[in-house]
Amino acid sequence: MTKGHIRNNVRKLRFLGAEMTQQELAEKIGVTRQTVIAIEQDKYSPSLEVAFRIARVFGVPLEEVFQYETTDASESTE
Amino acid sequence: MDLSYQEKSILGSLAAMVVVYGYYFASVLRDTSHPEFGGGNVTRLVFAVVAIIVIEIVYHIVLALETKVEPKDERDVLIECKAYRNAYLLLATGAFLVIGVVIMAGLASDSAPTRIIVTPFLTVNLVLFFMVLAELAKFLTQLFYYRRGF
Repeated sequence: MTKGHIRNNVRKLRFLGAEMTQQELAEKIGVTRQTVIAIEQDKYSPSLEVAFRIARVFGVPLEEVFQYETTDASESTE
Repeated sequence: MDLSYQEKSILGSLAAMVVVYGYYFASVLRDTSHPEFGGGNVTRLVFAVVAIIVIEIVYHIVLALETKVEPKDERDVLIECKAYRNAYLLLATGAFLVIGVVIMAGLASDSAPTRIIVTPFLTVNLVLFFMVLAELAKFLTQLFYYRRGF
């Protein structure tokens, strides 16, 4: 069985996007700054709606912001 | 430590509950000579409930003046759902324990050496105790997920 993990480039895109602050991004996508921090640290995977809002703010496709990485669970247990 | 509005709100409520109900249950346990409603016991209970309400209102007014009020977002709601699940489990366990105590007390014969006399006062306090425990579990779960990440 494969185990998945969602990674993101929000921090990088924020700096590329005229060094947007976490607060500015939070206000644009309708969440708190703490949620943006949690997303950037890969501690929280946002809902699809928020994910699309983030992609729209940066003007990039969703796949450029979020990547779904898989690891084979059987490999890690062996 | 960088705390969000939600975390500050939870911390304040947690502190208020610990102080007020800690004092209330300590005073109830100190004075077990009158395990019935009447006089000081009712006053104590009413005082505790009113004190919690007043402290919560004053604290949240001060917090709103000093910190930018942030509406709950999807992560706050998810964390709250997890917290309510833990609180519910604790409250349900407590309810079954109280039911068990009442049934056991009803079944025990008068001559039983360790018979518990279940008065309305004891029942109310047991229920209140588990309600407070459930609320504490909710606050602690929320703080845990806010700090650890969710």
